[in-house]
Amino acid sequence: MKDEDVRRYLDGETEMDAMDDQARSEARSWDRLLAAFRAETPGAPAPPWLENRVMARIEALPEPGLARRAWSWLLRPRPLRLSPATLGLAAAAVVALVLLPGRRGPAPTGDAGGAAATVVYVQFDLRAPDARSVAVGGDFDEWQGSYPLEDPDGDGIWTGRVPVKPGLYAYMFLVNGSKWVTDPEAAHHTDDGFGNRNAVLAVTAPAT
Amino acid sequence: MTVTTAPHLHRGVRPVPAPPEPVEPTYVRGMAPPAERTDAQVVRDVLAGDRDAYRLLVRRYGDALHAHALRMVGSQDVAADLAQEAFVTGYRKLGSLRAPERVGAWLFRILANVVRDHLRRTRRRHISLHVLPEIPAPQRGPDEDTVDADVRTRVRQALAKLTPEQQEAFVLKHVEGRSYEEIAAVMDLSVAALKMRVHRAREALQGLLKEFA
Repeated sequence: MKDEDVRRYLDGETEMDAMDDQARSEARSWDRLLAAFRAETPGAPAPPWLENRVMARIEALPEPGLARRAWSWLLRPRPLRLSPATLGLAAAAVVALVLLPGRRGPAPTGDAGGAAATVVYVQFDLRAPDARSVAVGGDFDEWQGSYPLEDPDGDGIWTGRVPVKPGLYAYMFLVNGSKWVTDPEAAHHTDDGFGNRNAVLAVTAPAT
Repeated sequence: MTVTTAPHLHRGVRPVPAPPEPVEPTYVRGMAPPAERTDAQVVRDVLAGDRDAYRLLVRRYGDALHAHALRMVGSQDVAADLAQEAFVTGYRKLGSLRAPERVGAWLFRILANVVRDHLRRTRRRHISLHVLPEIPAPQRGPDEDTVDADVRTRVRQALAKLTPEQQEAFVLKHVEGRSYEEIAAVMDLSVAALKMRVHRAREALQGLLKEFA
């Protein structure tokens, strides 16, 4: 009970006065030790050169918004004039694409509904036998990598389902909490403008 | 998940001294003066091609990022390099930021990842945690300064024996005094899992520094 009291004290969940003498004594020891840690690990302002070095380095980089602007340009609706012959060729191309065999990648596994607000579950998988953790992040979660994948049988294939609304999303896998990895199995990719390739996922509302 | 805004990140911002004489500023028409631009405006300006506006973010968050890196690695040179790396990474990824008003918390999260990677890399290369000698007890003498110096040296060594994740959780909680909710957002953990991690870190430190706690 004493340990639990001290733990709650250190977590800020109880006050010193609420504990018995033995717990209070231990809490005071902890206060002393934590004060030593704070004294030994002081912060300090950034050196004056930091700003200029950062700016010098980013001078050599492409503009960060370039990929997004290009993406927006690609997605922006614009008037299109087609001759009947061109229209026929385009229709034939669409039919050919639909009939082509599918390839491995995130597979929408939606339930019912077809409205724009319908949530569709998309299954992601990544082969990463050496990974300690894998998550997926993208436009659908503000690139937080907040959907963990699992490898319960230890075969190195990490899988998980993510609820998303119909739309077009860029995404990547977050391996070991820090390394962003492009989905090699995605059907489509887009250059993010600074050397990385985002996988592109198109989610359509399931047919009713 | 959502990264919550962390007001304390403004803590390290250096005050801008008032000019000796009133100066009439010259602004580009339609653009707020740099000192008054919000974080969200700065992010939008950078994404629109005003690369130099990124400088404002470095000024606003440079001290906070550097201070955290310094607490984690203990070397000013390394801390500055890691902060630099975080800002450059932030610039490269700025197009993926969906909540520009939370760019400070977002940059801090990037820094935390950079620091974690650095610790994993360097500790693997330079230090085998399993062969580190036990930390010797301080030579207590009449000179209290000597004792304090010993204590500080030993707590520094003890921190280096934690895993990078434990050290990060411990420093954020007990050195920087952040709330569990803030830390959970930075470390992408639930509050319950984070509390357990901090508890484990304290247990490890207690084992290493028995006579203090």
